[in-house]
Amino acid sequence: MSEQGLRIHGLRCSVEGNEILKGIDLTVEPGKVHALMGPNGSGKSTLAFSLTGHPKYTVTAGTATLDGQDLLDLPADKRARAGLFLSFQYPAAIPGVKVPNFLFAARQAVRPGELTPAKFRALLLEKMDVLGMDPSFLGRYLNDGFSGGEKKRLEMLQMAVLAPKYAILDETDSGLDVDALKDVGDSVKALRASDEGKNTGFLIITHYPRILQHIEPDVVHVMMDGRIVKTGDAQLAHRIEREGYDVIREETRALA
Amino acid sequence: MPSELLTSERDAWLERYRSTPTGREKPSRYWKVDLDALETALPSGTPGGDVSIEAPAGRIVAVDLATAQRDSATLLARAFGKAVVPAMKFAHLARAFTRVGAFVYIPADYASDEPVVIRYRSSGAESIFPHTVVYAERGSRATVVEHLDVEPGSFVCGIAEIVTEEGADVTFAAPQRVPGDARVLYTRAALPGKDARITWATAELGAALAVADIAISAEHPGVDANIATLFFPSASQHVDIVSTVDHRVGDTTSETIVKAAATGAGQGRYLGNIRIAAHAQHTQASLKDDALLLSKRAHIDSIPALEIAANDVKAFHGATVGALDDDAIFYMTSRGIDRAHAERMIALGFFEPVVERFPGETLRDELRAELQRKIEP
Repeated sequence: MSEQGLRIHGLRCSVEGNEILKGIDLTVEPGKVHALMGPNGSGKSTLAFSLTGHPKYTVTAGTATLDGQDLLDLPADKRARAGLFLSFQYPAAIPGVKVPNFLFAARQAVRPGELTPAKFRALLLEKMDVLGMDPSFLGRYLNDGFSGGEKKRLEMLQMAVLAPKYAILDETDSGLDVDALKDVGDSVKALRASDEGKNTGFLIITHYPRILQHIEPDVVHVMMDGRIVKTGDAQLAHRIEREGYDVIREETRALA
Repeated sequence: MPSELLTSERDAWLERYRSTPTGREKPSRYWKVDLDALETALPSGTPGGDVSIEAPAGRIVAVDLATAQRDSATLLARAFGKAVVPAMKFAHLARAFTRVGAFVYIPADYASDEPVVIRYRSSGAESIFPHTVVYAERGSRATVVEHLDVEPGSFVCGIAEIVTEEGADVTFAAPQRVPGDARVLYTRAALPGKDARITWATAELGAALAVADIAISAEHPGVDANIATLFFPSASQHVDIVSTVDHRVGDTTSETIVKAAATGAGQGRYLGNIRIAAHAQHTQASLKDDALLLSKRAHIDSIPALEIAANDVKAFHGATVGALDDDAIFYMTSRGIDRAHAERMIALGFFEPVVERFPGETLRDELRAELQRKIEP
C-alpha cells in the first residue's frame, strides 16, 4: 500500500515566469491531518493551486500522485473526480448559479449516479444542519453577496457533500471569528466521523496556529520561500505560536 | 383609430416615420443593418396577422382592439397613443399600418395573479403591425405576457403601451422567440401614475433583426420603474435595444438590468438612457448592463447614457463586457464539473437575474431552455 496518500515529490511551480515552489516533498496519508504553516508569501497557496490544477500555475518539475494516480497530467475536474478537494481562500462568486444546483452537479460529477435529486436535497439539508447553516442558503447564488464567513461555511458544506479522499484547506480560518473557527473545526471532525470521510486526509494551510486548537494535527510542516524547512508534530505549531516564524527562520539559516 | 385609418392619415404617419431619425449608428465593421434605410426592405402585400387573448377569470377586460373600439372606446382613449412619444421612429411605422391589436383594462383595486396572455400570429411570411394597449386603474395589479407566434420570413413592427393610474402595479413580459429569418421592431412605452410600479421584462432571442425601444416616463412622484432585458444574438442575428427611463419629477426610482450575450457572428447594440430632470430631486436610478462574448466574431456595443440635471439624486451605473470568468470556471471545475458543463452553467446563470423577472416558472424554464440551446448550438 505504499502508493496510498497524496504524495508530492520535488514539486516546482512557477507563476508568470517566477518560480514560487522550489522543490516540495510532502505526503499526506489517508486519515491523517497535516498542517502546513508559514509566513505570507511563502508559497502555501501556490502549492494548493498547483495540486488542484489552476491554469495560471505551471508545474516545472516533480510529481504529485493521489493513491497512485498521477495528478499533474489531469485537468482540474478530473483531479476532483480522483478525490482531491480544495477549500478556497477566496472562492469565486457566480451570479445566477444557485447553490443546490451547483452542489448537485458537483456531487454527480464526483460520485455519479449515487443520489436522486430528492435524496440529494435531504443529504444537503442534513449537512447544512450540522454546519448550522440556514436553509435560505439554498435560494442564493453561489457566493454572490456572501460575507467572508458565509463563503467559508459554503466551502465546508461542499467538503461535507463531496467527501473527498484528500482535502486541502487554504487558510479557511483566515478572517473568521472564534465561533466560525470552531465551526470549521467541527466540519473537519464531522467529515472524519462519517463513513464517507473516515479515511480522508487533510492538508490544512494556515498562517496562524489558532485553527489547530480545534483540529489537532498529526504532522506540522513549516514552509518558507517555496521550501518546507521544518517538519514536526503538534508541538511545532505551539512553538510557532510562542516564538513566531523568525526563530524558525534563524534556525534554518544556521543549518544551511 | 387603427382599423379606420384614412389614406391621408396613413400617409401622415409614414411621413412622421420617414422624418424621424433612428438615432442609431450606421453600419460598420460588425453591425450590418442600416435602420434608417429599412423602409425599402418592407415586405409587400397587405398587413396581416391576428390575435388571440386569454384573460383570467374575473374583472379584467382583455379584448382585441376592434372590440375595444366598439365597446370600451372611452377607456381605450385614456391610454391609446398616450405613452408613445414622437421620437420613437418605429412607432410611427406601426401606427401607419396597425390592424391587429389588444386592449387590456384592469379596473380599480383589482389584483390578478394569473397573467393575461396575448398571442399575435401571422399566416405565412407577411407583415404584421400589432398594437397592445394596457390601461390599469388606481390600485390595480396585473401581469401581461405577449407572445409573437409568427411564421418564417415575417416582418413585425409593433407597439405595446401601458398607462396606469395611482398605485397600480403592472408587469409586462415579452419573450421574443420568432424564427431566425423574421424581423421584429418593437416600441414599448409606459406612463405610470403616482406611486405606480411598472416592470418591463423582455427577451430578444429570435429574429434575424430585432430592434426594440423600451421606455418608461416617470412623470409622477413615487413611480417605481423597472426594465429587465436580455438579448442573445447568435449565428448572424442582429439585436439593437434602446432603453430609456425618463425621471421627469423627483421622488421616483428606477432599476434597469440588461444581460446580453453574443455568439457565432451575432451582433448586439445596447443604449441605456437614464434622464433625470433638473427638478427631479431625490430620484434614485440604477442601470446595470453586462455583456458576455462567447465567440471571437461576436460583438456587443454597450453604451450607458446618463443625463443628470438634478443635484440631490442617487444614480448608479455599472457595465461589463467580457468573456467567461476564468476564476469562475476553475472554481467549478475544481469541484469535478467538466469545463464545458461549467461554462454552460455560468453562461446560463449570467442571464438569471433577468430571467427571474419573468412571470411563471413555465415561461422562465422555456427561456432557460432557449438560452441553453443558443449557448450550445
